[in-house]
Amino acid sequence: MITRRVQYEVAGRLAGPALFRLEAWQQRVKKMRKGPRKSAIFGPPLECVSKLKELMGTHYLQGRYADGAVPVAWVTSGFPVEILRPLGFHAVYPENHAALCSVQRVVPELSDAVEKEGYARDLCSYARTDIGSVVTGKTPVGRLPKPDVLLCCTNICQTVLYWYRALAAHFNVPLVLMDTPFVYGEAKPHHRQYVRDQLEELVDVAERVGGKRVDPEELEEVVRVARDGTRLWGECLAASRAKPAPWTGIDGFFHIAPIVTLRGTRQCNAYYRMLLDELNDRVAKGIGGIVNERHRLLWDNLPIWFDVRGLSTLMAERGFNFVVTTYTNAWAEAGSRIDPADPIGSAVVAYTDIILNQDLNKRLDTMRRLSRDYSVDGAVLHSDRSCKPYSIGQIDLKQRLAKELDMRVLVLEADHGDPRAYAKEQGEGRLTAFMEGFS
Amino acid sequence: MRRAYIERQRGEHGRKSVAVLPVHHPKELLTALDLLSVELWGPPGPPRGPDVGRVQSYVCAVARNALAFLAAGHADVVDAVLYPHTCDSIQGLATLIPDFGGCAKPALTFLHPKGPSRPSARTYLEAELRSLAASLEGIAGKELEPERLRAAIALHREIDDTKARVLAGRARLPLADRALYEQLRRGEFLWPEEHLAELRALEARLESAPVQRGVPVMVTGYVPEPMGILDAIDDAGAFVAVDDWAAIGRRVTRAQTFDRAGEPFRALVDLYHAAPPCPTRHADQGARMRHLLDLFDRSGAAGVIVHEPKFCEPELFDVPAIKKTFADRKVPLLYLETELEAELPGQTVTRIEAFVEMLQSSRRAA
Repeated sequence: MITRRVQYEVAGRLAGPALFRLEAWQQRVKKMRKGPRKSAIFGPPLECVSKLKELMGTHYLQGRYADGAVPVAWVTSGFPVEILRPLGFHAVYPENHAALCSVQRVVPELSDAVEKEGYARDLCSYARTDIGSVVTGKTPVGRLPKPDVLLCCTNICQTVLYWYRALAAHFNVPLVLMDTPFVYGEAKPHHRQYVRDQLEELVDVAERVGGKRVDPEELEEVVRVARDGTRLWGECLAASRAKPAPWTGIDGFFHIAPIVTLRGTRQCNAYYRMLLDELNDRVAKGIGGIVNERHRLLWDNLPIWFDVRGLSTLMAERGFNFVVTTYTNAWAEAGSRIDPADPIGSAVVAYTDIILNQDLNKRLDTMRRLSRDYSVDGAVLHSDRSCKPYSIGQIDLKQRLAKELDMRVLVLEADHGDPRAYAKEQGEGRLTAFMEGFS
Repeated sequence: MRRAYIERQRGEHGRKSVAVLPVHHPKELLTALDLLSVELWGPPGPPRGPDVGRVQSYVCAVARNALAFLAAGHADVVDAVLYPHTCDSIQGLATLIPDFGGCAKPALTFLHPKGPSRPSARTYLEAELRSLAASLEGIAGKELEPERLRAAIALHREIDDTKARVLAGRARLPLADRALYEQLRRGEFLWPEEHLAELRALEARLESAPVQRGVPVMVTGYVPEPMGILDAIDDAGAFVAVDDWAAIGRRVTRAQTFDRAGEPFRALVDLYHAAPPCPTRHADQGARMRHLLDLFDRSGAAGVIVHEPKFCEPELFDVPAIKKTFADRKVPLLYLETELEAELPGQTVTRIEAFVEMLQSSRRAA
């Protein structure tokens, strides 16, 4: 236990940062030798990227030594993770891990492994990827620590519940559910009370697994840090209201990782302060995420992780930039509502009233507002085979957005994780035709 | 047929009706308020209206067909639509239709809790039931009387008890599977007392000794659609000895421990948690597997058919565990994925025939 704890701390505090800084230094030396790389399409790369790699790389490296050192929780992205921080949990985010697997293009291999066991390919590719990684032990991050507890919140979808049930059966560990009733119009008082009661039950379970009591002052501080981090993330996104936007929505998909996985930590906030400074600096200097920003678009739904580069290049070549995405924006809105003075009560609202747990009128309102705030002149709605709750309603949303805001809107069918569910040629053909319509 | 029945119920008894999407809803509340519950499992077959195109083709056909059906006005005879919180797709319909158009009837939701019978879930469920009851009172135009609710609970327990006896005596019932399941599924729209009378008539037909000569099989899945699957099982020389279809067997609560004279809403909460494990209510997977094994052992079935519709996430996520559970016991299992919109394809019929043939040979060899 002590050795394991030492390994865990060394990985997180020394080895991880040192390794990734060395890698960043090597990259810089390489670049200096080759001379600065200038893209005709994209603006200069964000300096922060190396810090992002260090932060996330260290998180995963440290995770390799977490089981046996500290309590380990596998957590859904919308879970109120703040409660775990004062108890010293190491939180693993299978969705983030699955996205990483998709970027690394290992999803088909991992999914095949579980399809053999009977998981249908029609199921969410994040779930197939994650369960595939569990079954095969294969992961691009080296190793994921075995969970002591599974924490699942249904505010993003019901799929996570089915997925975590399977994980609970596999690992034979407790599954704690945060069941957040869907909000049609306004949440009813007994819905709010239910979430509150579950949060209180969660504290009991987390304390039991963590082996200590939650210190209210520590929790208050974590909540303050989480709220500030969320606001910082929101400010980073808001930098794209400038013309040209200092980065792309696709960049945002990658830079979202800390607010999802490290929310409530000081490293997370330090990172976003650095990113915000850089973005503000680019705005001041008129540096855009793409070189020639002619059209500004909104992206709805998760990214197509395995093809983000190809897709953003195709768009950027023609002067199109996704300056805002409903997905990254969701992470700026929910957490900003939590209040250190009332960690539990405010978490009830923050974790219930999120875009995927609210009716389509609210979603349309958000899309209208974002479209106006970011001065977009078109939208691409990713009809994501793996995310039904995010995709249902998009046909109507498309028509309403196009009519009300007089803009071009495209529904693009793809998948957030599995390249086998995306017809790239057809998709690019549709995007090209969509862009031609602007001229 | 259902339209005529609904109109007759209105004309003869002054009963209003509510279209209800799958799977679980507190029918007792509707009965107590003299509201006819008419379930909408799609309906199966080709979509009955152009609005099906408003939902992507990778969403389950129960939701897509329901949208097409409602938006085409086929359910204009009902007074409201109730959307239980079954899955993301039905949850999505409950905002898509009321918010963006498709059916002008009042939309009610029943957001039943997921998870085990913990204190928070019990308190919440009781409040949610009371909230639904208040909405239903508005539709019915009358107040819910506790005595009537108690009577409705007792009536539905009697229905479940009778259904359980009929299903337990399946081998002694001289009826083909399709005839039996058509009869059982009439409970999806009949007034409960009429349904109970039909069930009692069925029970009266139980023989004293087994009359089914085919190979007994257990089926688990969502809904016996297309119904041709029952003909195929029958024609191949087997019969459904026990079922765990969400639409049928999984809604028969056998362990009925509740206080009949007590607070009726609390009795509904007890019954909700006593119902057979269902992934749409998040019974833990281990509990569901134990339940399936228990059903299998008690039925004397020789094999298992897992019958799922495409894109049904709650069902499909349990398939690997079901396969493993029965493989560990060396029980032959056939997995079938069918489409609600289409008839049973020939390939599936052939697979059922081959499976039953294999079971028959194993029996002969034994």
